[in-house]
Amino acid sequence: MSSTSPNMPAAAAMTPWHAGLRDFLKGEADSWLFVLRTVVSFFLVGWLAMRLQLPQPGTAMMTTVVVMHRQSGMVLAKGFYRVLGTLTGAAAALGIVALFPQQREPFLLVMAMWIGACAAGATLHRNFKSYAYVLAGYTAAIIALPVITTNPGGIFDSAVARISEVLLGLVVSAVISDTVLPVRLRDTLRGAVREQYGNFLGFVREALQGQMPRERMEQAHLRVVRAAVALEDLRSSVIFEDPEARARSLHIQHFNQRFMAASTSFQSLHHLINRLLRQPEPAAAQALQVLYRPLGAALQSSPQDQPPLQLAAALQQVREALPVQAAGLRVGLSGSAQVEDFDVGVGLLQRFASELEQYVRSRAQLLQRVAPVVGQERLHFVRGNDYAGAMLAFIRTTATMLLLGAFWAATGWPSGSSAMLLGTVFAGLFATAPNAARLTSTLMGGYMAGLVAAYVCEFVVMARLDGYALLVAGVLPFFMIGPYLVSRPRLSTIGLGYTMGLVTVLAITNPTVYDPQHFFNDALSQVVALGAAAVSFLLLPPVAGTAWLRRRQMAALRAQVRLAAQAPLIGLRHRFESTNSDLVHQIVAHTAPGSEESRSLLAWALAVNETGRALIHLRQDVAREPLSPELRRQVDAAVAALAAFFEQPTQQAWLQADAVLDAAIQVARAGADTPAGAAPVLRHLRLVRLAMVDDRSVMAPYIAPMQPARQEVHDAH
Amino acid sequence: MRIEMALGGSLFPGLLVLFVAVCAVLWALDAVAGRRGWYRHVWHPSLFRIAVFVCLFGGLGLLLF
Repeated sequence: MSSTSPNMPAAAAMTPWHAGLRDFLKGEADSWLFVLRTVVSFFLVGWLAMRLQLPQPGTAMMTTVVVMHRQSGMVLAKGFYRVLGTLTGAAAALGIVALFPQQREPFLLVMAMWIGACAAGATLHRNFKSYAYVLAGYTAAIIALPVITTNPGGIFDSAVARISEVLLGLVVSAVISDTVLPVRLRDTLRGAVREQYGNFLGFVREALQGQMPRERMEQAHLRVVRAAVALEDLRSSVIFEDPEARARSLHIQHFNQRFMAASTSFQSLHHLINRLLRQPEPAAAQALQVLYRPLGAALQSSPQDQPPLQLAAALQQVREALPVQAAGLRVGLSGSAQVEDFDVGVGLLQRFASELEQYVRSRAQLLQRVAPVVGQERLHFVRGNDYAGAMLAFIRTTATMLLLGAFWAATGWPSGSSAMLLGTVFAGLFATAPNAARLTSTLMGGYMAGLVAAYVCEFVVMARLDGYALLVAGVLPFFMIGPYLVSRPRLSTIGLGYTMGLVTVLAITNPTVYDPQHFFNDALSQVVALGAAAVSFLLLPPVAGTAWLRRRQMAALRAQVRLAAQAPLIGLRHRFESTNSDLVHQIVAHTAPGSEESRSLLAWALAVNETGRALIHLRQDVAREPLSPELRRQVDAAVAALAAFFEQPTQQAWLQADAVLDAAIQVARAGADTPAGAAPVLRHLRLVRLAMVDDRSVMAPYIAPMQPARQEVHDAH
Repeated sequence: MRIEMALGGSLFPGLLVLFVAVCAVLWALDAVAGRRGWYRHVWHPSLFRIAVFVCLFGGLGLLLF
């Protein structure tokens, strides 16, 4: 053995199974550590709950199962939002029972509406915030339903018991997952930041050096969007795990914002140069290509070799040298149209260079040992929401609840309330998932396996055992299958179902009772509840991922141009960009990669980004400098016409927008020499106009029959 | 601070109120320590934070009895 060890790489190359084995063992070790953490917190919670004489130790144990996750940041974030949801739900339960302690029908109606409202709220938020809404909904049902038939006065005790059990479960899970060989989400975040930075700089370098086809540009936009949304998602969880990340939370947001800003500018620049290259006289484009060469040279070495501060200094040098170089190149151009185009490009290039420099600087800030305290403005990553989708979720959930409630009231089935309760839980848990029906039926398979295991465990094994240590020994072999399955991505839904089924029906209490009849009643009602949830998802499918919602989201994406045209300017750029990213991300998640639909989405996303950004800069310039009333009027008309076109893209609207834009450009050109204000306005207007007449972009269907108009544009040069 | 406290007509154990208060103190402490990078001098930050919490909660809890 010792003789082969110096040639380790060669040996590994010759025996690939060796490397495979190592990966396999590492994966297994991760899985088993996760199983260990889950098992320890599960039984610790059970023991504590029994020591504290809580009425249902099973609920506390169930909580540990629901929040279990490989990475401790996820457990902490989920736990935090679970606390919020539980407290809100408990308050709602108290309020609803206090209003209708004796009347069953109004009680069920208001309860159904509360749960529906929470389900609607959940569709308007992402990640664990949406989870808090779901919990607020079904916690109210869990607290109120068991007591409402027999003893409405016991509601307060029920609420206190539920809250104590859940909080106990959360505290123990959080402590265990954060201390027992924790897997840090922080490391994932660091990796994501490093990867985003490296990828983006590499991409810019590659694009600055050579030609890049439109398809690759669109793919790159998709990557940008994914990276931006993923980073924001990670950030919102890591802040619960790591105090240092919390202190830097604002910096991470700034880093992400600058990333989106720089990539938008870069795409605008790239498309502009491509458009100019396709013109009969590409002199302006060639001059611009000469102009951006130093930027590519500054990015030459890989980001790993060059510290960000050094790179930022190099970029600053390039940026400061830009105006001089541009003046030199402008002299060589003939014709006012060429010079105008060139100025548009120079403006964009300057903006991109300064944004890239800021991006690199904020990367340097993230690497500093001590988080800088400089006053940074607060940022909000704004999400694109659909209120009609939320309304539909409200109607669906409320209707399901009312139907289950009516069934319970009409038949008087003793397990009716527990079926209704579990139906609510599952309908709520998966309300935001795209393929809820399939997910629920997969989960149901696991759940039934869990029920069978629970039967064997409770009536064959546990009946012979006495004391908590033996209970652990008896339950452990059945229980640990669940977390192990959860840690395998493909089997995680089945694993979750298995664990939930096992724990719910075991409902470990102190003292344990031997009651097969109760067991079968419970098991039956739970299977009925799951089936009802699955059927309700089949009959009234969630809107996520449907063509209807996609069309609405596309319309919302285009309407972003109206936002850019009309919303208050303060913080608008970040609001515009983050909403765009979130919308594109939502739609892309449900379109097949490479399909016609996904291509058209990306093309529109690029057009919206480009035009919206230009409009925002235009409005900022207009707000900063006084313009002649005539120009101001024309600019306002152009902005309004563009917003109208993007909201309802038709040939008519395109013609209208084009005409108004052209008129505004004429006025701006006439005034370009006199006051200082008109020149930047002219640049922005021209940039938008060039994007509008680009027949390779998404505009093509609207300009196709207008050949004369396009000819005229070329003549204008 | 008393062993039981009446808030809005219902009795809460003083320990619960203290628990919430110590959580808030720890949250503030985390903010300062995270910004200054103090936790880098600690071998196991999360164990350390839990230990700080136990010390504070246990010490202040003794005052109740």
